[in-house]
Amino acid sequence: MSTETRPAETTERTLPPVDTAPLRRRRRQAAWVQAACVAVTLFMALPIVLIGLSAISSRAALAEFPKPFLPSEYSFDTLLAFFEATGTVPALGNSVLAGIYTVFWSLVVGAPAGYALARHAFRGKDAYQVFILLVRALPIVVLSVPLATMFLRLDVYDTVFAVTLVHTTLALPTTVLITASIFVSVPTDLEEAAQVFGCTRWQAARKVVVPLALPGLAASSIFTFVLSWNEILGATVVTLGHRTLPAQVLTALDEASTAYRFAGGFALILPALVFIAVMRRYLVNMWGTTLR
Amino acid sequence: MPATGLDRRAFLRAAGLGALALSASACTGFATTGNGGMIFLSTQFRPVDEAEAFRSLLARTVSGVSYVTIEDGPFAGQVRSQIDAGSTQIGLLGGLHGDLAPLADGYLEDVTDVLAALGDRGWPAEYLELAKAGTDRSWYIPWANASYVLAAHADALQHLPSGVDANALTYDDFLDWAIAARRANGNRPMLGLPAGPEGLLHRFTQGYLLPSFTGGQITTFRSREAATAWEYLRELWANCSPTSTTYDFMQEPLETGEVGMAWDHVVRLVDAPERDPRNWRMLPSPRGPHGLGYMAVVAGLAIPKDSTDPDLARRTIDELSKPHTQVGLLRSNSFFPAVAAEIPQDLPPAIKLEADAVKRQQEAADSILSLPPVGLGTREGEVSKVFQDTFRSIVLDRADIRTTLDGQASVLQGILDDLKVPCWAPDPAAERCEVM
Repeated sequence: MSTETRPAETTERTLPPVDTAPLRRRRRQAAWVQAACVAVTLFMALPIVLIGLSAISSRAALAEFPKPFLPSEYSFDTLLAFFEATGTVPALGNSVLAGIYTVFWSLVVGAPAGYALARHAFRGKDAYQVFILLVRALPIVVLSVPLATMFLRLDVYDTVFAVTLVHTTLALPTTVLITASIFVSVPTDLEEAAQVFGCTRWQAARKVVVPLALPGLAASSIFTFVLSWNEILGATVVTLGHRTLPAQVLTALDEASTAYRFAGGFALILPALVFIAVMRRYLVNMWGTTLR
Repeated sequence: MPATGLDRRAFLRAAGLGALALSASACTGFATTGNGGMIFLSTQFRPVDEAEAFRSLLARTVSGVSYVTIEDGPFAGQVRSQIDAGSTQIGLLGGLHGDLAPLADGYLEDVTDVLAALGDRGWPAEYLELAKAGTDRSWYIPWANASYVLAAHADALQHLPSGVDANALTYDDFLDWAIAARRANGNRPMLGLPAGPEGLLHRFTQGYLLPSFTGGQITTFRSREAATAWEYLRELWANCSPTSTTYDFMQEPLETGEVGMAWDHVVRLVDAPERDPRNWRMLPSPRGPHGLGYMAVVAGLAIPKDSTDPDLARRTIDELSKPHTQVGLLRSNSFFPAVAAEIPQDLPPAIKLEADAVKRQQEAADSILSLPPVGLGTREGEVSKVFQDTFRSIVLDRADIRTTLDGQASVLQGILDDLKVPCWAPDPAAERCEVM
């Protein structure tokens, strides 16, 4: 560096050109993220919108070929006929009951198990974790006949309670594993601090850990509810006159006429969407790794 | 008691919540059977609209019966587990022969006396024989039957080769027609066959094509004539809409105009002509060198062991097998009467078309009645699979016909050897069924 050039520089100081590349890169990234979000949303929402539109199309509009995106004629006949059919509305009620009971019982039984897995090291923990998943390894077809026989002997056959038991069993593995990973991410320090300030173990868990784990619990309950809502075979086998919606009408959907398929599909999607919308506010993230 | 970490209030609240949840979940839920009467469990008319149509017919016929549908998979398991547990909750069973026959080993009441008490209502002798499920007693009462026919739109009918009677097609005419229709339609095939995952194309080979070409279903499975039949199907397939492998119910592509002619089960065709019946025709299936092979699907009514209300079950059977109720069933669900009943002229147009085609098919001088496999119980699906696999190899994968037939024949023979059952129509009722 020579000293002669220095005064010239100081007298006429020009700022280097602003490098906008990082900003542009960020904008571009943001646009990409937006585009990706829109694409994912479309991917998820488009089938639902199409089913919804088809459910309120008239039969003639459904039979049009090639099909326009928006139906040429709207009609609620099929949807009404579907809901007026014997047992559809009570079955909807049973499905909601079974779903809520299943969420309740799987949390009551599964969350403590998840807590124990997260907080304690005990012999056979890994084996236990794998063992929990074993329920899902047995197809319900294999379990169904002995289950039905057992429920008949215990006199709980053909009740929502029986369906709840089956669904709770099916939901427990996911509930235990999800809640375990949520409880792991709640720092033990917080719990210990609560105990230092005079909480008992139970109080610390209830007043500190559970509120922090709430989003994850909500996520796992969405899983459970949707599982119970969609399950057909177990519900068909353990009930006869008190069926859930899938068992009552949706088993025959694949052999129903197109109009009824759309009406049934719409009826199946809607309540699950409502439940997810309600639970969404508790849902910050699912796996609890960046708990807020 | 701070040591346990549970104050009384918290404990009471938890206990109260638990008790509430338990008592709430112990409730049985809402009844979905409608009127809460005797349960009539059936594998038929499962789609909502069909079930409702049958429920209204049932309500007009007899009171205090709730119609509950179930898939054919869990049907037998459900009945068996209830009877095994000693607490039957079903009053009456309805299903196809293939659903009911496997239960005849101790899960159904002997209905020989019920049948005798009903008197002669004109059931075909074949159906009554079928209802015995290989024993000397009757296990169900034939309830209704259905068959398979051809449906064609006027657009396709105009390409019928001249001089050919649509009501007396031969398989060669049928192929010529399919070729002519394809050529006239800009080389786009107009014929569709139900080769989808839930489609019934295996019934076409089992009950129509093979009996028409060979005169048998099982015994002639690997005969020279059978090879000709499969050769024929290959050619027919080349003139078939390539999307046929996705069709389960032909009424949908027919209604939307994707195809103009199709073969399927009557129930799976009935919606096609609904909106525009004047442009549609239903035709009896074609005939081959041995005659017009056709298949009849028989549904029956059975009383489970320890039925909740045997008297009501008997009365329901009596009412449902009266000729006017049987005609009512044809009107509401397009299943044909199993008893001798006068078919009225004022039927809905689509059903009228079907009734005519089925009648022509049954009454043809050279008709060959085929039945779905009899007495195979739970292994019936394996026989269907033999026919599906044969179709897949020969027609779709273009494997060698002779080797495929030999290979599948040994699979078929393996199943028959295990079961040691006599042959069913159209094969001669030999002591033990064998592929020649």
